Amino acid sequence: MSNRRSRVAFAATSVVLTIAVAACSSSNSKPTATSPTTSGSGVAATTPSAENTGVKAEFNAATKGIVNASTKTGGTLNYVTADDFDSLDPNRTYYAYSINFQRYFSRTLMAFDAKPGIAGAKAVPDLATAPGAITNDGKTITYTLKDGIKFQDGTPITSKDVKYGVERNFAQDVLPGGPTYFKDMLDEGQKYPGPYKDTDPNHLGLKSVQTPDDKTIVFNLSAPYSDFDALLTMPIGAPVESKIDLDPAKGGSKYQSNVQSSGPYMIQSYEPKKSLVLVKNPAWDQSTDTIRHQLVDKVTVSMGLDPDDMDKRLISGQADLEIESTGLQAAQQTEVLRDADKKANADEPLTGFTRGFALDQAVPELANVDCRKAIEYAANKVDLQTARGGPHGGGDIATTVAPPTLPGYQSFDLYPSGPDKTGDLDKAKEELAKCGKPNGFHTNIATTNKGKGPKVATALQAALARVGITTDIQQFDSSSYYSTVIGTPSNVHSKDLGIMVMGWGADFPTGFGYFSAIADSRKILQDGGNSNWPEVKEPAIDAALDDMAATTDPAKKAADVQTIDHKLMEGAYYLPFTYDKALTYRNPRLTNVYITGAAGMYDFVSIGTSDGK
Amino acid sequence: MIRRVIQAVTVLFAISIITFGLFFMVPKLAGADPATLFAGKITSPDALNGIRIKLGLNHPLWQQYWDYIGGFFHSRQFDNGPDKTTCSWPCLGYSFKNDQSVSHLIADRFPITLSLAIGAPIIWLTSGVLVGRVSALRPRSLADRSSMIVALAAISLPVYFTAAVLRLFVVFKWHWLDDIDYHGFTDNPELWAKNLLLPWISLAALYAASYARFTRGAMLEVLNEDYIRTARAKGLVERKVINRHAMRPVGTLIITLFGMDVGQLMGGAILTESVFGLHGLGKLGVDAIGAHDLPIIMGVTILAAFFIVMANIVVDMLYAIIDPRVRLS
Amino acid sequence: MTTLPGDASALTDDFGEITPEPGTPAAKAIEGRSLTQIAWTRLKRDKIAMTAMCIVILMCVIGACASFVAPHLGGGPNTFHSNLIDGDTSLPIGTAGGISSKHWLGVDPGSGRDIAARVIKGAQWSLLISFLATALTVILGLVAGLLAGYFGGWVDAVVNWLMAVFLAFPVVLFGIALASGLPLRAFGFSPIWLRVTLLILVIGGFGWAYFGRIVRGQVLTLREKEFVDASRSLGASELRIVFKEIMPNLIAPTLVFASLAIPGNILAEATFSFLGVGIPLPEPSWGGMLNDSLSQYQYDPAYLFIPGLAIFVTVLAFNLFGDGVRDAFDPKAGR
Repeated sequence: MSNRRSRVAFAATSVVLTIAVAACSSSNSKPTATSPTTSGSGVAATTPSAENTGVKAEFNAATKGIVNASTKTGGTLNYVTADDFDSLDPNRTYYAYSINFQRYFSRTLMAFDAKPGIAGAKAVPDLATAPGAITNDGKTITYTLKDGIKFQDGTPITSKDVKYGVERNFAQDVLPGGPTYFKDMLDEGQKYPGPYKDTDPNHLGLKSVQTPDDKTIVFNLSAPYSDFDALLTMPIGAPVESKIDLDPAKGGSKYQSNVQSSGPYMIQSYEPKKSLVLVKNPAWDQSTDTIRHQLVDKVTVSMGLDPDDMDKRLISGQADLEIESTGLQAAQQTEVLRDADKKANADEPLTGFTRGFALDQAVPELANVDCRKAIEYAANKVDLQTARGGPHGGGDIATTVAPPTLPGYQSFDLYPSGPDKTGDLDKAKEELAKCGKPNGFHTNIATTNKGKGPKVATALQAALARVGITTDIQQFDSSSYYSTVIGTPSNVHSKDLGIMVMGWGADFPTGFGYFSAIADSRKILQDGGNSNWPEVKEPAIDAALDDMAATTDPAKKAADVQTIDHKLMEGAYYLPFTYDKALTYRNPRLTNVYITGAAGMYDFVSIGTSDGK
Repeated sequence: MIRRVIQAVTVLFAISIITFGLFFMVPKLAGADPATLFAGKITSPDALNGIRIKLGLNHPLWQQYWDYIGGFFHSRQFDNGPDKTTCSWPCLGYSFKNDQSVSHLIADRFPITLSLAIGAPIIWLTSGVLVGRVSALRPRSLADRSSMIVALAAISLPVYFTAAVLRLFVVFKWHWLDDIDYHGFTDNPELWAKNLLLPWISLAALYAASYARFTRGAMLEVLNEDYIRTARAKGLVERKVINRHAMRPVGTLIITLFGMDVGQLMGGAILTESVFGLHGLGKLGVDAIGAHDLPIIMGVTILAAFFIVMANIVVDMLYAIIDPRVRLS
Repeated sequence: MTTLPGDASALTDDFGEITPEPGTPAAKAIEGRSLTQIAWTRLKRDKIAMTAMCIVILMCVIGACASFVAPHLGGGPNTFHSNLIDGDTSLPIGTAGGISSKHWLGVDPGSGRDIAARVIKGAQWSLLISFLATALTVILGLVAGLLAGYFGGWVDAVVNWLMAVFLAFPVVLFGIALASGLPLRAFGFSPIWLRVTLLILVIGGFGWAYFGRIVRGQVLTLREKEFVDASRSLGASELRIVFKEIMPNLIAPTLVFASLAIPGNILAEATFSFLGVGIPLPEPSWGGMLNDSLSQYQYDPAYLFIPGLAIFVTVLAFNLFGDGVRDAFDPKAGR
């Protein structure tokens, strides 16, 4: 009922994994995300406090460093959420918070470092001993596995288990929901049907991935891909025991209830929409893991809570953290911001999302770029920010598609909307005249029916009416909004949805991870799941994306980010209005709390308790 | 009686067909393939195909309906090659969004709805009948007039407004109660009652008012009847006249009304549950509509209709027991 | 089956036998008048009902003029005023939800739109929908009740069965489902009118079964009355009997039902809007404003109370007026 913030990765737009938070407030940060650094295999993890300087527990402290750095063990961590995970199956999860939570029980060849800010967005070896060794002009990438890594039942993890996990990505008919990168990059015409229909006796028939021995895994890509290390941090790269997954009682679509842990915690019980309990995994060996610790005894997640009730539990200290990390609701935001003591326990990270509208050039009335520019000038960004929840609940006013947390981001504003940012109506009318519609035109605005979407749409509607652009708002169920409503171009055309409310964050924190789905003309998916909503077809953007995928030079990648961002704004394909922020509340009893640059939210796996309860 | 039962079954049947047809059409009208609704972000043709086979969406509509009804009588199997899901009897459908059978979900949510449908009726029945009786015995008195105006006012309030105002004062301003945090009756009866107090009161206020008005109207009518005059003329004590002779026919009418209202409530109190964040059947249904989760919508709708139809039958039977003049046709 | 919800208990009475209390001056004066005229005379003497009627008329005037008045109040119902909103909390700046000389009922949190303008515009939709939905219910109920009651036999059985189906339907769930699946425009309707039509159809179309039962009961009794027999023996056609003999006797229960159904339908429209499937954006509705107010009502109670009281006062006035109408037709029910 209440007007809660739409979830960050709500409606499965994509997953936010962005770089750095406070560290990136300068407009031109140097990207470091994928430059490989390694600490070798078998190195025992050092305690977080020994590595990093802690910060004082004050407002927004977790965006600057580690709050309450400590090695104290024991206690139970209590997470709460109004919803549930999209899935616990590592191959089927795509929500940002689900991916972040997978770190408790799914290890991957590479993983994001357990460090605050931008350092946390760096992919470091996890199951692997070192980052991928690149040969064959970038098309062959080889990893070696560490010794002593085991599943929760004590079975050693081999390269075949990793390959099997990758193969599951191909069985979209049985395991839908997760990202399909592996399927897109590794099939190479084999039309591999996934392990369940595999005729190979060991169900390891995928030719492009080879396992010459139990410690080595070789990926043969169809084209060079320089972000492969970062891609492997996603849970779709987690090892899966084939003997469990091929058991009809435990595997396939039922694997999400029988996930075999490779991390420090394992699933004790899971009741969808109700509760999840994790306990220590006895088979996990700290000496093999440089990222995670086993500080708390138990992790619980209470799900399906009423949002109001959930926020009250957080503020009263009955619960520790909200798992979706979308921030407090309006009433609790007011309560926290008005009370200095409570405010000291709150953080306001940039989530790595940009909130805005997509202006579809394939819808007839928006086909002319000048008509789209008129919309850019006429928008009242202050009203849009207010509708989104103001500078705290909503975020800072945006003028670019790329968020400030993206490596290579540079600030610019092609459509200055006056000193008070309420819109430049003269310019808008000029553009309308150029477009041949001096008296305006009519189009529709699509939005979800929950959260801030409807209010944001009405704010734009009111602003556009000032220059004669009339609009009707159409609301859609949020559960299918991104996947099928605005994600199916034919549906967008037939319903004449010229303007679409959208939010976007990267799947993984690189320019390619951010822009490829929303700007690549070759990724306009006609059958649903399309994220290139404006149907951008710019050869310069496609070329910059190809360059980004091939190059390993951070400077070149940064230049590509700027090229794409400028082209998107010049073409007025997107109308960004806020760089998303979430006002989140952390229980003061928690230790080692920081915002990771990888996810724009707390790094769950590092957190402990100071009272041992 | 048999005619009653046959009518009840056909009514349920009609409702299930309409619900199935409508909710099958709604996603299509909204431009969404039912299969894509389960696929999440990625909607590759393979994924969609797998879902269609597993859910039987590739069958004609009538067969899907037939299979669905079959689940009432035996367990169902959802197969897509090696990937099998069993929905054990009684199968009201299987929610793939939640990966749980609808019967399980309903069984899980029903205690909350039942708690509402037990507590609130007790409050409204006692208070409503009491006020109505007092009013009827002193028609046009100050007590009568003021209580009837209050009753009319209570009927004129939307339940979500009453609920919000109650919560504003009781929880936020006066701090008499903490916010709602549902506890099962078996876990802790005291916390159960304490946390359901506000929902009960908000819900009961609406009904109590109309019961008071109803009781008053019915009693006034009965008190004008000849047999009451006869009883009084015989010199019976007024209290006996009221309790023994007047309340009896009034009670019959109230039981009728009460049965229907409780039956309706058992299907879920959408507004009260939503406002107080109680996860009962009504909220389950509303959330399922938002998620286009057809099996849940079907299950909740049919169950709600079932309770209403059952309440009708029960009320008719009670009526016949209380008032032997009424024969069941 | 027996359903006798409290509000309409008087409807089951026999409306044909209204006798003025003997000895009152009115007894002579009303001789030879129609039942409706008699009732009107009685209604005029009912102070509460007349006060309620004045409020009802006032609300109707406000609703009818909303399109001309609302745009001139505080910038109009849809204009944002971000400068009146506190950036930290999204709440209106100032006391009691930002009440000022320009915005005399304050502005709404999160956007700063003028609440007075929105409440007035909301009245328009609320009243329009409830009136038309009531009309639809009355027509459907009359037709169904007449068919079932007069013709009996299999017609009665079919209509009865249909009524049982409609009475057992979870209407709210249905309305939500229909509204969420509806396209923006269809059948030549603009977005707002399409939704208004749907609301009228859902609210009105599901209410007829209950009224149909009342009519059926009335017709069953009327059919057996002497004057109908007389008419029939004089060779009157079925149609003539229905329209000339039976229909006039249904006017009283229809008027009573309608006056009590309108407030119910106002609440129904508010409920659908509250659930987000009523009046579409950006048009204001009382239920929609109530829902909007819930996110911050402990800090901005004014925004909760204003639309809530608008609903309450309007519905109460209609209810009091409806009670008055009922009493006027049937003084036995007593006040």
